[in-house]
Amino acid sequence: MTGRWPVRPWPAWAWAVLAVLCVALAVGLRTLLTARMSLHMLVQIPLLVLVGVFAQQAWHAVRAGRPQRDTHGAGWSINEYGLPGLLLVSLVAAGWMIPKALDDALLGGAVTWFKYLGLPVCGWVLQASVRRANIIIKVFFLGNFCWMSAIVGMVYLDQPVRLCNAYLQDDQEWSGRGLIALAIAWPLAWLLTEIRPIWRFLHR
Amino acid sequence: MILRWVLALVLAMAAGIGVLWSLTDGFSALTAEAARRQSVARQPRAIPDVRVLDASGRIQSLDANLHDDGRVAIVNFFYTRCVSLCLAQGSLTGQMQQVIEAEGLQDKVRLLSVSFDPRDKADDLARYATRMHAQGDVWQFMSFDDPRQMQAALDLFGITVIPAPLGEFEHNAAFHVVTPDGRLARIFDLDAPGLALQAAQDLAGTAGAGS
Repeated sequence: MTGRWPVRPWPAWAWAVLAVLCVALAVGLRTLLTARMSLHMLVQIPLLVLVGVFAQQAWHAVRAGRPQRDTHGAGWSINEYGLPGLLLVSLVAAGWMIPKALDDALLGGAVTWFKYLGLPVCGWVLQASVRRANIIIKVFFLGNFCWMSAIVGMVYLDQPVRLCNAYLQDDQEWSGRGLIALAIAWPLAWLLTEIRPIWRFLHR
Repeated sequence: MILRWVLALVLAMAAGIGVLWSLTDGFSALTAEAARRQSVARQPRAIPDVRVLDASGRIQSLDANLHDDGRVAIVNFFYTRCVSLCLAQGSLTGQMQQVIEAEGLQDKVRLLSVSFDPRDKADDLARYATRMHAQGDVWQFMSFDDPRQMQAALDLFGITVIPAPLGEFEHNAAFHVVTPDGRLARIFDLDAPGLALQAAQDLAGTAGAGS
């Protein structure tokens, strides 16, 4: 291991358990989680993404235990630097900030399936891509997501009319606050994880 | 090898844009409300037959009412206890009534306000009509008789009603132009009553020329 994880890496089964837990929560509590716009956007959708993230971690842990062929000699992989993957994931993330997507996801049609199947796939792609990305690419995509989330949050907060026919006005405002909070909390949390190696370096 | 990567990048971009394209009905609607209006304008929808109760207590089929009346109806949805959106909608409808009377359109266009609140009975509707200074021949009030039929009708119109605290409802509001053959032809925003009236007049003109 390259020391990405400051403590000993978790075994595959632990990641798998987390993934299963997220599936169980997102699908088992779907009636509750889609009853409010804020829960739908800020709890259920992230849970479905985490399913993919954790599943990819589990897969990665399984592969790390096995002898691998050297892929570096083979030149560029199709997801070199994680760029294609991160591009796809950020476009899909933009899609889930459109109010119509949330309304349509309640109808049980193609958009519902896209939510329950597509988001875990996106989570997988996200995690696989982040692993290949260098810090500049990570900062670019995280920054991109954050301004998008903050702007959409402000629009939700300021709109005097309801944007989703299925959700209440005050719930729309809570979703707006949540998106703004996410745009602040996520980069801070990320900064903390990146700061640890620097901290250790300074105090060795 | 780098070619494969470029190809993957292009594919990822295409897939992502495809997702955005399909979620927004081809980059034309960000909200379900906008999508509903565009879809109706492209393809008028036949309204399922529902039993309605009018302010005089008579129960009749909406289809028969539209057909017998023969005028194009501008329909909106409300409930009599509403203290917010419906009041704004009601005063706009009142202004439309004045325009209809001033321009002598009574024999082509009428106004129809339909309540989705099961508590609204004939006398609630009659009281509301008085409060709104509605002229019986231009502006009529109805409520649904059967909850299941109501849901089917609201679904067709694209009206989402959510119960809110204190016996209130949250609902989307608009002007729905309905032709005498029982079709929802156009939907206009509350801030465009003039356009709704114009469209109703145009539809009445073509319907009149056709018969």
